[in-house]
Amino acid sequence: MERRKFLSLTLGALALAVVPASVKAEDYRKLKPTVWTAHTVDDAMKNMYGTTKTIEDGVKLTAPKVASNGGAVPVKFSTKLSAKTIAVFQDANPEAAVCVYSVNEYSVNEYEIKIKMGKSGTITVVVEGTDGKLYSAKQTLEVALGGCEG
Amino acid sequence: MADFKVKVKPKLKKGVIKVKAMAKHDMVTYNQAEKKLGDREKADFITRFLGTVNGKVVIDISTSQFLSKNPIFKFQFKGDEFKKGDKLIIECTTRLGKTGKGKGKIK
Repeated sequence: MERRKFLSLTLGALALAVVPASVKAEDYRKLKPTVWTAHTVDDAMKNMYGTTKTIEDGVKLTAPKVASNGGAVPVKFSTKLSAKTIAVFQDANPEAAVCVYSVNEYSVNEYEIKIKMGKSGTITVVVEGTDGKLYSAKQTLEVALGGCEG
Repeated sequence: MADFKVKVKPKLKKGVIKVKAMAKHDMVTYNQAEKKLGDREKADFITRFLGTVNGKVVIDISTSQFLSKNPIFKFQFKGDEFKKGDKLIIECTTRLGKTGKGKGKIK
């Protein structure tokens, strides 16, 4: 390879490496496809982070203790920690991963979504801190009418 | 031309832009597709929810079949670089490659 081309390639690679991970928009369905096919929360977490070890602190999670409609369970979660990603998992559906938020420089980490739960179970929200550690919060709830089969 | 619409309502309050967005999509799971359409491969649901203001990414969610039908997303982002009148553009992609789009002016 011509030296000039090689140099510009290297510089290009360096420039990319310098961009902080939190600023890149990340499609986690493409980046980590096995997270979405995992059946258990543990497997989904292993595929996403390489570990299931979390510090059960720093994350606030609110969900009803009894959900009347399993097709639309309101889930509210937030964290003040400096985060890279925030993921929602549950053990009440065929696959465990619900969604993954890719945190960016503008993010204020307070979110609300409505999820499907096929039966009663536990929702786990995991915050991947920029410090390299995982933080989580769990909530177990009863679902009156399963919402996965719809 | 987008395949489905996304309603976007951003509000600027005390330097933070709070958003309520709703995508008009059935979010059909594999099990639902099998039961109702006889084919798991007909399952279609939003897999990415991406929002930008003036070209800057302010929300990026990778999603699954387990969000509710016509999913509502509530989220917030810092407003220092943005102002009322700026448009929040939401673009969604689904498993089968369909797209949803919506815009909302920051009020």
